[in-house]
Amino acid sequence: MSEFVLIMPEIFLALTLAFIVVGEVTHYGEQVRLITLTSLVGLAGAFVQTIILYKYGAIQIFGGVLSIDGFALFFKLLFILLAALTIGSVSHTQEITEGRRTEYCALVLAATLAMCLLASAADLILIFLSFLFLNVVSYFLAAYGRRSVLSTEAAVKALVFGSVASALFLYASAILFATTHSLNIYEIHKYLASSSLSAPVLMTTFMLSFLALCTQMGAFPMYLFLPDVLEGSPTPVSGFLSVGSRAAGFAIAIRFLMVVFAQPGNIRGQWQPLGQLDWTEIVSGVSALTMVVGSLLAFRQKSAKRLIGYLVVAETGFLLMGLPVLDELGIAAILYNLIIDVFALVGSFYVISFFYDELQSDRLESLQGMLKRAVAESVCLVMFLLCLVGSPPMPGFLGKFILVGVAVRHQRPVLALFGIFAMVVSTAAVARLAYQLMGRFQESSQKPLVVNFSRRTFLMVLVVPMALLGIFADLVFKWVGQSLGFILW
Amino acid sequence: MSHHLISLTILFPLLGTLFQSISSPARSRWIALVASFAASGCAILLVLSMQTQTADLQAVETFPWVGSYAISYDMAIDGLNALLVLLIAILFPVLIASEWNQKSGVRGLHGLFLILQTALFGAVCAQDLFLQFFFWGLSALPFYFLVGIWGGVGREKASFRCIVASSLGNSFIFAALILIYYSVDPHSFSLRDLSGGVLSGKVFDFLGHSLPISGVAFSLLSAGLALRAPIWPFQGWFTEVAQEAPSSVFVALAAGTVPVALYIFVKVCYLLFPQSLSYASNYIMAVGTVNLVMGGICAASQKGLRRLQAFVCLSEVGLILMGIGSLSSTGVVGAVYQQLILGLSLAGFGLFSGVISERTGHAIFLNQKGEKTLGGLATIAPSMSIVAGIVVASLLGFPGFSGFVGHALIIIGSYSIHPLSVVIAASALLLASFYLFTMYRCVFLGKPAENFEVFQDLTLREQACVFPIVCGLLFFGLYPKPLIELIRPTVLTLLSTVK
Repeated sequence: MSEFVLIMPEIFLALTLAFIVVGEVTHYGEQVRLITLTSLVGLAGAFVQTIILYKYGAIQIFGGVLSIDGFALFFKLLFILLAALTIGSVSHTQEITEGRRTEYCALVLAATLAMCLLASAADLILIFLSFLFLNVVSYFLAAYGRRSVLSTEAAVKALVFGSVASALFLYASAILFATTHSLNIYEIHKYLASSSLSAPVLMTTFMLSFLALCTQMGAFPMYLFLPDVLEGSPTPVSGFLSVGSRAAGFAIAIRFLMVVFAQPGNIRGQWQPLGQLDWTEIVSGVSALTMVVGSLLAFRQKSAKRLIGYLVVAETGFLLMGLPVLDELGIAAILYNLIIDVFALVGSFYVISFFYDELQSDRLESLQGMLKRAVAESVCLVMFLLCLVGSPPMPGFLGKFILVGVAVRHQRPVLALFGIFAMVVSTAAVARLAYQLMGRFQESSQKPLVVNFSRRTFLMVLVVPMALLGIFADLVFKWVGQSLGFILW
Repeated sequence: MSHHLISLTILFPLLGTLFQSISSPARSRWIALVASFAASGCAILLVLSMQTQTADLQAVETFPWVGSYAISYDMAIDGLNALLVLLIAILFPVLIASEWNQKSGVRGLHGLFLILQTALFGAVCAQDLFLQFFFWGLSALPFYFLVGIWGGVGREKASFRCIVASSLGNSFIFAALILIYYSVDPHSFSLRDLSGGVLSGKVFDFLGHSLPISGVAFSLLSAGLALRAPIWPFQGWFTEVAQEAPSSVFVALAAGTVPVALYIFVKVCYLLFPQSLSYASNYIMAVGTVNLVMGGICAASQKGLRRLQAFVCLSEVGLILMGIGSLSSTGVVGAVYQQLILGLSLAGFGLFSGVISERTGHAIFLNQKGEKTLGGLATIAPSMSIVAGIVVASLLGFPGFSGFVGHALIIIGSYSIHPLSVVIAASALLLASFYLFTMYRCVFLGKPAENFEVFQDLTLREQACVFPIVCGLLFFGLYPKPLIELIRPTVLTLLSTVK
């Protein structure tokens, strides 16, 4: 019985989801506002439940299928927060009409449930199932702008890439199960540590699973669909997917790679690759390529959402820098950056969504002169994006500093150089967007946009925590460090 | 001693930005001005409260910021940065007042100036490398918007080049910072922990080669700062900004960030890399001389005030670099002193050229055929020509004007060490008197040009703007003793580590 206490957040999410679906069926079209409120209350409940779980420490439940530890709890808090922000922003957008808001809330809740399961999954089957669950919900979310061609295209691309990734992961799982006769990743680790597999088999397994994870994170060879999805989806959905599905990818990538393919090293807080396979070189190569390709392509874009999409790809490359160093600091830096991303990306897409509603376009040239028409929004957009690319005064810079620093400390100066180069290029890409916002400031005579109070408040809800993350960075680092301490390796 | 004056100096402009952004445009100007004045008042009090005859850091304020990465909020003032605190305190209220009647987006303009004031104060007072870089990075961003929004016709290219140069420069400094941070154990950013040659002799591995950390970090830092201060041949973006930006913005760049960049170079390099510095002193001297000469030659061929002031700045920076590279106490004291004077004289230059281009619509004093397009302002606008005269005299280093002290100290300090470069420098200074007097003759003397009889002299507001600058130029020239006494002990302590 006590094991159910430990999955209370998931149970809460599932109940809220069921409640909303029932409410939608029985009271169709009435009291839409109540639905948003119900979802927010449900999320708040799940959030509190997750915080309570911290006192139970690290524990495996249901015969090792789920691992409830600080790492999982961190990601659950992150996902629930993200879902709350996404649902909170929906009442401000015209891309999702009032009548369809209920379905939207239900889908976001379902995706959150999938991500939370993914965060604590320690069993190959459960990982695969939550992968599929998340992906299926993502197709629906991406295709939500039904009338738009781009949205349909986005959903189809996500579907194709998602199926390929699932297949790859399934093959990797099959090889692992066939050789180790176990589905639990910790058991698999014990087996692999005691009797090592032959290098080609290990290599194949690693590559298959890593490519699947790359799809989820949006890393180099498999990033191609991500900007399309972020461009095509309704804008609030882009904000949700750009952080959520990537963070879920990172959650599972860190747990899976560090548990299955690495073992604790001689120094506390550091690991070394398992057996003969030095996969860290592959990961750092992918990281370097992802950030360079992402930032260079971002520089050439003509649509704001697509530009941010490529910046997101570059960001994935950055975060991947923390993985191959096999160091607690690197992973802590990934987690810190993910928290920053939540505010920076949801914020950017929130402002873009506002502009999109007004202009019916997110082309860079149509954004011209927005600085004069909506000062606070434009300034915040630039701040969010600068924070994303890690420009100095923003908290994102602290995150980038730690990532690059960890790479230097572990004798990967070339990777660090690529990182710094990508930072410069992405800043230039943001500068292009910012220039369009400025437009012909002095001559423009278009009238300013009307911004209501609740919009401004929501913007503050995003900006203030972002600033606080920088000012109280020490507390955040402590929390992040604790989240790592709990993991069952 | 904990009077928190430094924190107040940094905080006031930020608070001002917040308050003025939510008030009406008419009121916001006053809020901006009051905030800027409040910060400047604190800064001037801070400098006045300093003890002379000591090289210690004063008014220290420190508490940990990001403890797990040894980053702390560590602020202090000493002889090296006191003058820059004074400069920024004089500069920004003047700039805000000079853009009083800006038609479009006055709140944004003033807000960006206030952010810039905070950033520069922070960068100057920080005693923690990370904090310093944080503020230095912050100071780069406002220029992008200042040039991009309020600039002239070619503002897109100018602002883009500006942001690319500064983010490239910042990335170099960022790389240097990470190298420095991870090379000491325990990892630290505090300038106190890092000083005294802790870094010397340490190496790191790069693609199979082992490179000395202090040499690489020194080069990265110098390159990074050279991209923010105009160093020939990387000055293209700077002259373009001078051409396109409104004059107040150019003043903020040339008189604000350029001296601060030079200060950071002196502070960090003397403290952290004494060996690399003494090894590279000849190169610094050479770069300084080249800068001085190239700036002079380019300035001599200019026909407009805007680019002329950019090249004047370039050659003054060259002179200061010579002082820094001389490694003699006289030269370095002169260089530190000249940072203040460079700021003040360029501010004066920028303001009067701004007024001219505002009244006439252009700032070109000779057209393509070599005919005067301005002229005779001395009779029409006497107070403006007096201000311009004082600025020009100060830039040329006439005895009695403040430039004289700095120029003389730098030349005397460098001569015993590098006589050749001083000879070259002296001829470049002679060239300066040629082009600055040509400018003065074309703009102010002679008969007024045709179609040019109606020209209003400086209004009361404009006179109030230039008043503190002219006062500073005259006062620091006639009575430099207190400032020199403030600088000297710190410089001597710094130099003792180099030798």
